Amino acid sequence: MTIFHAHSQSRRITGSVKDGQDGSPIPGANVVVQGTSKGTTTDLDGNFAIDLSDTESVLNFSFVGYKTSTVEVGDRTVVDVTLEADITMLADVVVVGYGIQKKTDITGATASVKGEELSKQPVLTATQAMQGKVAGVQIISSGQPGTSPQVRIRGLSTALGGTTTLFVVDGVLTDDISNINTADIVSMDVLKDASSAAIYGSRGANGVIIITTRQGKAGAFKINYNNNIGIRQASNLVEMANAEEYRNYVQAATGEIVPQSDYDTDWYDTILRTALQQSHNISLSGGTDKSTFLINAGYLEDEGIVIGNEFKRLTLRLNSDYKINDKVTLGLQSSYGSSENQNGFNNIDIDAFGNIGAVYNNAYRASPTIASKVGGRYGNTSAFQNVGNPLLDVSNNRVKVLENRLQGSSFLEVKPTSWLSLRTSIGADWKNSLNRVYAYEFRADENTFLIAGGNQLNPLSRLNVKQIQSFRWVWDNTATITKSFDKHAFTLLIGTTAEKYKQHWISALRKDVPPDENLWYINVGDANTSQNDGKGEAWSRNSYLARLNYAFDEKYLLTATIRTDGSSRLPGKNRWQQYPSFGVGWIASREAFMLDQNIFDLLKLRASYGKVGNDQVPTDAYTSIVTLNTPYAFNGSVSPATNGAQLKQLIDPNLTWESTTEYDVALEFEMLNSRLSGEVNYYNKKVDNALIKVPIFNTIGDDDNAIITNVASIQNKGVEVVLNWKGEINTKLSYTIGANATFNKNEVVALNGGQAIWGGSVGAAQGFTTYTDNGQPVGSFYVLKVLGVFNTDAEVNAYVNDEGEKIQPTAKPGTFKYLDKNGDGTIDDSDRVFAGSYQPKAYFGLNLGVNYKNWDFALSIYGNVGNEVYNGKKGVRIDGKDNIERDMVYNRWTSGSRSQTEPAANTGNLLASDYFIESGSFARINNLTIGYTLRPTLLERVRINSLRVFVMSQNLLTYKKYSGFTAELPGDPTNSGIELSAYPTTRTISAGVNISF
Amino acid sequence: MKKIFYSIFLFITVVSSSCSDQFLDVPVQGGPTTSSDPKLAERLVTGVYNSMLQGDSWGNGDVHGFAFLTVTSIISDDADKGSTAGDQQIPVGDIDNFTLTPSNRFAETLWSGHYKAIGAANKALEALETASISEEEKNKLKGEVRFLRGYFYFNLVRMYGGVPLVLRVPRDAADANSDLAFQTRATEEQVYTSIKSDLTFAYENLKVKSQSLVGHANKGAAGALLAKVHMYLKEWQPAFDLTKEIIESNQYQLVEDYATIWRQAGDNSSESIFEIQTGEFNNANLNINNYTTAQGVRVGGKGGWDDLGWGFNNPSTSLIAAYEPDDLRKNATIIFVDNSGEHHGTILWDGFRIPSSDSVQNLYYNYKAYASNSKENYADPGTKDLPKNIKILRYAEVLLINAEAGLELGQGDPTARVNEVRERAGLDDLGSVDIDDVWQERRIEFAMEHDRFWDLVRQGRAAEVMQAAGKNFVAGKHERLPIPISQILLSGNKLKQNDQY
Repeated sequence: MTIFHAHSQSRRITGSVKDGQDGSPIPGANVVVQGTSKGTTTDLDGNFAIDLSDTESVLNFSFVGYKTSTVEVGDRTVVDVTLEADITMLADVVVVGYGIQKKTDITGATASVKGEELSKQPVLTATQAMQGKVAGVQIISSGQPGTSPQVRIRGLSTALGGTTTLFVVDGVLTDDISNINTADIVSMDVLKDASSAAIYGSRGANGVIIITTRQGKAGAFKINYNNNIGIRQASNLVEMANAEEYRNYVQAATGEIVPQSDYDTDWYDTILRTALQQSHNISLSGGTDKSTFLINAGYLEDEGIVIGNEFKRLTLRLNSDYKINDKVTLGLQSSYGSSENQNGFNNIDIDAFGNIGAVYNNAYRASPTIASKVGGRYGNTSAFQNVGNPLLDVSNNRVKVLENRLQGSSFLEVKPTSWLSLRTSIGADWKNSLNRVYAYEFRADENTFLIAGGNQLNPLSRLNVKQIQSFRWVWDNTATITKSFDKHAFTLLIGTTAEKYKQHWISALRKDVPPDENLWYINVGDANTSQNDGKGEAWSRNSYLARLNYAFDEKYLLTATIRTDGSSRLPGKNRWQQYPSFGVGWIASREAFMLDQNIFDLLKLRASYGKVGNDQVPTDAYTSIVTLNTPYAFNGSVSPATNGAQLKQLIDPNLTWESTTEYDVALEFEMLNSRLSGEVNYYNKKVDNALIKVPIFNTIGDDDNAIITNVASIQNKGVEVVLNWKGEINTKLSYTIGANATFNKNEVVALNGGQAIWGGSVGAAQGFTTYTDNGQPVGSFYVLKVLGVFNTDAEVNAYVNDEGEKIQPTAKPGTFKYLDKNGDGTIDDSDRVFAGSYQPKAYFGLNLGVNYKNWDFALSIYGNVGNEVYNGKKGVRIDGKDNIERDMVYNRWTSGSRSQTEPAANTGNLLASDYFIESGSFARINNLTIGYTLRPTLLERVRINSLRVFVMSQNLLTYKKYSGFTAELPGDPTNSGIELSAYPTTRTISAGVNISF
Repeated sequence: MKKIFYSIFLFITVVSSSCSDQFLDVPVQGGPTTSSDPKLAERLVTGVYNSMLQGDSWGNGDVHGFAFLTVTSIISDDADKGSTAGDQQIPVGDIDNFTLTPSNRFAETLWSGHYKAIGAANKALEALETASISEEEKNKLKGEVRFLRGYFYFNLVRMYGGVPLVLRVPRDAADANSDLAFQTRATEEQVYTSIKSDLTFAYENLKVKSQSLVGHANKGAAGALLAKVHMYLKEWQPAFDLTKEIIESNQYQLVEDYATIWRQAGDNSSESIFEIQTGEFNNANLNINNYTTAQGVRVGGKGGWDDLGWGFNNPSTSLIAAYEPDDLRKNATIIFVDNSGEHHGTILWDGFRIPSSDSVQNLYYNYKAYASNSKENYADPGTKDLPKNIKILRYAEVLLINAEAGLELGQGDPTARVNEVRERAGLDDLGSVDIDDVWQERRIEFAMEHDRFWDLVRQGRAAEVMQAAGKNFVAGKHERLPIPISQILLSGNKLKQNDQY
């Protein structure tokens, strides 16, 4: 019957399917008549045509990555549909390592940050943009161009080296993601607790961050262009004394009269500038239902606020995948990064001649009465006070680091049946960096300086190059079985991985190389001055892993993981170790008794236990190595020296892994129609066998008088709180508020017979400033306690111990009175007291977003409280002619002011004391963005799908108590939080466009 | 197709799970081990010599660097700290003024530097036991190493008194921790016994200078050092006999011009018995860090010239006053900065001009630490920190030890020995000598040569002389340096501090 009527009763419907966000056509979308299998797909322009019988009136439009749309055709013959991206589908999925999982099914502590949120900020490394976005993740950044921030997940888990978080970029394991363009990232997933990170076993102790890069989408060919161009300035400088204040102070301190001078130099002014920063990204993407591709090219340039400092990076990415048939998929993610860093004074892994690193310290100390540069000649600070001219410091060396990196992975995935997926992937990471340092020749004469003399000079030019090449590969093989029956749902993952790393470096040096940059090659130098060096490193790791996820009735969740790890970095008998973890979850809101309530949309409890490890020990830590090239010139200057050897290091042949066990309990909820969501997490993480350099008797004759061994236990306990609010006031105005806070307590619970560690060496009279000891946070400040300032000789004489001995007999009025803790009548290192730690008691983030009509507004704030910093710059004031902070001039002790907090004018060389310790608490507006999206109708004529313009500021405002440059001071565990040559925090103001064609 | 993929997976599973133990055996790259270097033993002997060059004074170890010259020279009445008043007040000023505490950095780096050197010696001796070289060669190398170990302990015992006597290589940290030798002090006597045993072995197994390679420890060096040790112990007969043997061996004679001894041309001269050699390696200077820089003439006042260093270790007015008129050694030992107001400056032996006093920090400098950029050869002349050999034992000292021992014993001809030294200095002969004459001669002959302070302590008049020089010297305390507090704490107070510190 229907056949009979079919022809006469049908009508033709035409229309188009477009992307709801940018209005671009969606080719290949499915158009299906509801209740039948009849359908069609859209053509390349997103258009379709379909014939409907008179009983058929509803169409379903669907496409991968979009919400399905159901449309009642009614009388219409033209139906235009826009599809909305299925964000919830993306948001609900978390990448968990060798797989993905629904957020609600997860039993461990993880967090995910979307790529769009990160790429909004003009930062080099994506982790910087994560600052303040994720509870439990502390990001500490020095702010220098070309540097990556330090990431600490749930506190400090080790005291020795090995603190780097593991990054997994599309399956490639690495500890450095400075080559990854933030615009390429689709999501960053953080595995915070040991139960989630246990799948990475011995690599998981410092947390894991999994980075997934963007893929092309089936559909029309798209072009996106984004840029961001702005200026950058130091956001906070210390005010130093001017020439007159300086002269007064120096005279008061030393009795010497500093001659009058025509100059009043602000040294920071001379070496700092307003820097340009810009980034551009252009991406091309598209695909069919068989294959997709994405090509992205990015360029980033950051001049740096110090003269001569510049960072540039070019990144290229090609991601594609191809479905051979329903069962077999091939894919490739690949990136190329090339960067150039000029005169960055950080981590130059080369025998640098040092002056660039000294710039900041010299600018702090140089006298304002000396000219910076006049008529092409420099003021001679070193002839006056033994401090290099900072402006010359930045000009007399050229340091360049060129880095090229190819990173990628390819996979083959086979699904022989609906419940089994087999996957093999090979990742590779090749890095080549060329470091070049050229030191210009100049003398302490009147060609260079206004007056001759001093010790700032380099009588012979030098060229030093170093090439470092490294390669690593990782090969993962996994099988995933997904099965459900009745109310049971299982996912079982088993797999193996193998990884190998090799590195090789060589360096060469020659002198007497002409100043023309085109001649800066080794062959141009004097061969009689040649020096060279080189070395290598290699290690391998091999692991077996398994994970079971089980859910009953979508309410009761269980996750069990085990990884068996082997590492070449450890001696044979300790080589293999197991890392188990368990997690359970209960989605209470799905219980029958909760169905009637309408307070909670989601209420979930979870708890987990896990064990992870850390094998980041130097590769030669357990092997006794001969140190060659310890020569001796038996015949003095007559003939070159004879080569010799020493066995410098005593080793621990029984080294083993650091192991972390962690308990985690959390409550997750969504309320008020999911407008309010949040999470409260408690964790208790204990590291045993913590590797520590334990001091050994100097009488052993060990090179650094220490041995690396497994002795300490370190604990981190904490609470994380996350609250998110989504509000929609009307269709035009919506907003989101996200707040998170982390409270962490770090403590060395036991040194287990090991010895406490001195660290934080500041130099001059200060010596060490931190002490890592039982019951204290790692790297706690340990200094003398200032009781006040002596006002009179009588007070000096009255300051005696129990036996009546004068404690500070040589003190004068105006000098500090220190606590004689042990009462022995002298002030020395045994009188030091603990004075806080650089580790914050809490850190927090606040993120606000508002959309009003076509306007968008975003604000993010980050801060921390309860930490201390050591003002090391003040501490290394070692000469009476060093400049001082303006505050010191006015607040100092005088017989009139009788200040009890500042000493009298002095010549520096003060002992390490709590005088130098200041609060490190701060809060900062990390990012403020205002954007405007132009209406599509305006754009159609110019064939632009969408166009957004924005202005933003990075680090707009910082509120801090600290009197130095920045309270954000990265460093290794026993040497953090000390400001010596820190780069000041910079403020950026920029604008840009996002265009999509 | 299916079958191909399944075979691949099967293959992968088999391969990746089979050979993992071999896969994980990755030797250290570029790190030779004791078993992979056939010439290790000989190299380790050279490495012991190398350890004498340690000069990381604020860091991990010092044997002959700034810390050494501080505790041997600046500490004495012959020299002042120098530099600017505030510069290095801690730790150098504290040592100069005897206000030092057990946490003094230099006292610690000297301790660790010497034990590093001793550790290198012990490791070399251990490796020599199994080295496949002739017995004669082995004994010669052992003799050199034991000479050096004896020398290191002699420095240690003079600095700290009795110290832990470490004569073996610990297997690991636990081994060292369980052996009290590493953390408790042997008596001064035990340390001296070990020194004498080492030096005696060296004396018996090494050949005389003319049959030995330049710069290596030889029989003469071992005998002279052993004689000096005996002198410190007031064991006059062996001190006398050994020096007599050396004198009669005809291997040594005084050089004609005293001033040339501290120039490159004077290195390894006929007078040289043992010196710390410096020179060139890998086209770079091979020297003791900061030895010349620390003592180099320092700019001051009006400035206006590229100076030579930091200006420490200035000869004192007391030393200057101690010279007899016309003693040639005075102008060879001290650089006198022109303070006449006539601005001639001071022209040094190589023609270099030191500006007059209004452009220089202090008035007197150690000429024996001056290295010439223009008349001497260096791999890297661009630095102020130039190589400089340190003369540890000279023939003149053998003569004066012989004189002192002879005087004590009433043997030999002390007056002739002293006069031999005086003649070279352009001074008239003395008719007869007493002990004060010998001591005075030692002071002048070895001025600024790291001998004065220990000599005063040995003579038992350190307190008298130091207090007369206006120093805050406490008798019974300041003859020795404090044992580093870090080591006392590390030992759980098993290591005992010196008196009164």
